[in-house]
Amino acid sequence: MTRPATIPPPTSRPPTWRGTTLGRLTSWPFLVPAVVIYALFALYPMIDGLWLSFFDWDGVSADRHWVGLENYIQIFTQDPVFWRAVENSLIWVGLSLIIPTTVGLAFAVALDQKLRGRNAFRAALYLPAIIAAIAVATMWTWMYNPIFGMVNATLEALGLAWLIQDWLGNPDIALYSIFVAYAWQATGAAMVLFLAGLQNVPVELKEAARVDGANHRQVFRAVTFPSLMPTFIVVTVLSIISSLKVFDLVYGMTLGGPAQSTQVLALWSYTQSFQLHNYGNGMAVAMVLLVITLVIVIPYYAWMGRRDEV
Amino acid sequence: MRARIANSDPVKVVLWITLLVVAVIWIAPVLFIFLTALKTRPDLIATGTFGLPTEIAWENFPKAWDKANLSTTMVNSLIISFLKVPLGIFVSSLAAFALTRLRVPLGRVFLAVIIMGAMIPVQVALAPLFRLILGLGLLNQYVGILLPYIAFGVPFQVFLLTAFFKSIPRELDEAARIDGASAWGIYRRVIIPLALPALAALFVLDFVATWNEFGIALVILQRQDMWTVPLSLQAFTGQFGNNYTQLNAAIFMSIIPVIIVYLLLQRYFVAGLTSGAVKG
Repeated sequence: MTRPATIPPPTSRPPTWRGTTLGRLTSWPFLVPAVVIYALFALYPMIDGLWLSFFDWDGVSADRHWVGLENYIQIFTQDPVFWRAVENSLIWVGLSLIIPTTVGLAFAVALDQKLRGRNAFRAALYLPAIIAAIAVATMWTWMYNPIFGMVNATLEALGLAWLIQDWLGNPDIALYSIFVAYAWQATGAAMVLFLAGLQNVPVELKEAARVDGANHRQVFRAVTFPSLMPTFIVVTVLSIISSLKVFDLVYGMTLGGPAQSTQVLALWSYTQSFQLHNYGNGMAVAMVLLVITLVIVIPYYAWMGRRDEV
Repeated sequence: MRARIANSDPVKVVLWITLLVVAVIWIAPVLFIFLTALKTRPDLIATGTFGLPTEIAWENFPKAWDKANLSTTMVNSLIISFLKVPLGIFVSSLAAFALTRLRVPLGRVFLAVIIMGAMIPVQVALAPLFRLILGLGLLNQYVGILLPYIAFGVPFQVFLLTAFFKSIPRELDEAARIDGASAWGIYRRVIIPLALPALAALFVLDFVATWNEFGIALVILQRQDMWTVPLSLQAFTGQFGNNYTQLNAAIFMSIIPVIIVYLLLQRYFVAGLTSGAVKG
C-alpha cells in the first residue's frame, strides 16, 4: 500500500478510504441489504424454529406452552415414523454416495476425452439436472405407471416380465424407485464437478507416466485418481447435503407413503407442522436435520478455508 | 482431422458408440413424455407404450395449458424469476464487494455465517418462514416470496462472488481510487464490468433454481392465482392425474423455458457450477 506522497488526489476525498474511519463508513451500505435480508428471512426463521421446538403448539391457536425437551423426547421415543425417516434418509445418503457419483465419474472420464460432439453429449447427460424436481417427480410417476409406464414396458420388451412391479405402490421398493429418479437427476452435478476436477490433473504427470510405459488404466490409478482427491471430498459432501434436502421428489411421487415407507426427515418435519398440526414436533425434527447438516458442513468449510489459505 | 483421430483409435470409436447409446437412454424419459403428449387417449391405449401416434394430438397442449392454468402461473414464474434473479445478484454482489474490497469489522465472521446458509436445507425453516410472512401480511404476494428467495440465494452467491472478486487485481481499484473514484464508483466501473462472466453464470444458475423452486412457494403462495409453474404442475397431477396425455403435455411445457435457457447459455452454466466448488 505505497502511494507517492507527491501526487495529490484529484478530488478532496481523503486519499485512502481503505483502513480509515471513512472505510468503515463506506462498507456498511454495501453490506446491509444482503445481511438484513439474510438475517431476517433465513437466519431468523431457523432461530424461531429452534425456539418453537420447545413448545407444545398446533401452529395456529393462541394456546401454546413451554414443554422444554418434551418434543425431542417424543420424536426419539414415541415416533416410529421419525425413525423410519432417519433410516430412509441414511439409506438415501448411502446410495447417493455410490450410484450417482460413480456414474457421474464414468461420464466425466468419458467426456474428458477428445470426442466428436462432446458438448452435445455433455448437454444431454446434464439435462435431467436442470428439470424441476417436482417435474421429475411427475415424469417418473408416469414412467412407473403400472399399465402405460415405460419402466414396465421396457422390462416386458426385454423378456424380464417377471420383474414387473407396482414400483411406487409396493412399500418394500417404493423408496428405491424414488431414488432412481433422484439418481437420474443428481448424476449431472457429480459429472460436472468431476469434469472440472479432471481439468486440474497435471498433464505433465500423465505424460511422464505414459513415457514410462504406463497404460490407460495405470495412468488413471496412479495419476488421475489421486489428483481427484479434493473433488471426491467436494462431491461426497454435496451428495450428503443434497440427499438430506430431498423433499420435492418424495412430495411429488408418494407424499411419504405407502404407509410412511418413503418418509424422509425434511418431509416429515413439513408433514408434522403443516398437516398434523404438531408444530413443536415438526420443529424438533427440523432441528435434528439442522444439526446433522451442521455436523457435516462445519468441518467441510474448515477444510475449504485451509485449502484457500495455502 | 477428427475423422483421422476416430479412425486411428478403435477404443475411441467404441467409446463414442457407447456414449451415444447411454445418452439416448439417459434422455429417454424426456422423449417418452413428449411421445405420450402427442397421442390421443384412444391412441395411448391402442398403440402401447412405445408405439408412435396414429394422429398427432397437438390439441393436448392448449388443453393442458388451460387446465394447468399456465397462462397465469407462467407469468407469475416469469415475474418472480426476473425480479428475484437480478435483485438477488445485485444485493449479493454488493456484499461480496464489501467483504473483499472494503474494511468490514469482523468480515471473516460475516462471511462464514453467510455462506454456512448455502448448505442448510430450506425445509428446516419452512414453517417458521410461513409464520413470519403471514405475520408481515405478505402471504400470496410477490414481495412475500421474493424476500425469502433472495435470503436463501445470498449464501451461495456471496460465496461464489467473493471467490471471483478476489481474483480481480487490487491494483485496478487503486488506480481508480487515485482517479478519485468512490467505493461505489469502483464497484460499478471496475469490479462489475470485470465480473460479467461470473455474473452471467450466476444469472443462469439462479434462473433455473428460481424457476424450479417448490418448497417455499408451496407454503407462501397458497392462492391459486399466485401459483408458480411447479405448483400448478403438482396440482394438475392431483386433479387430472388420470388424463395421461394432457398431463405429459403439461410436464413438457413446464420444463421448456429452463431447457431453452440452459441450451442457449450452457457455456456460462458449467462455468458457474464448477467455479465455486472446485478451485482451480
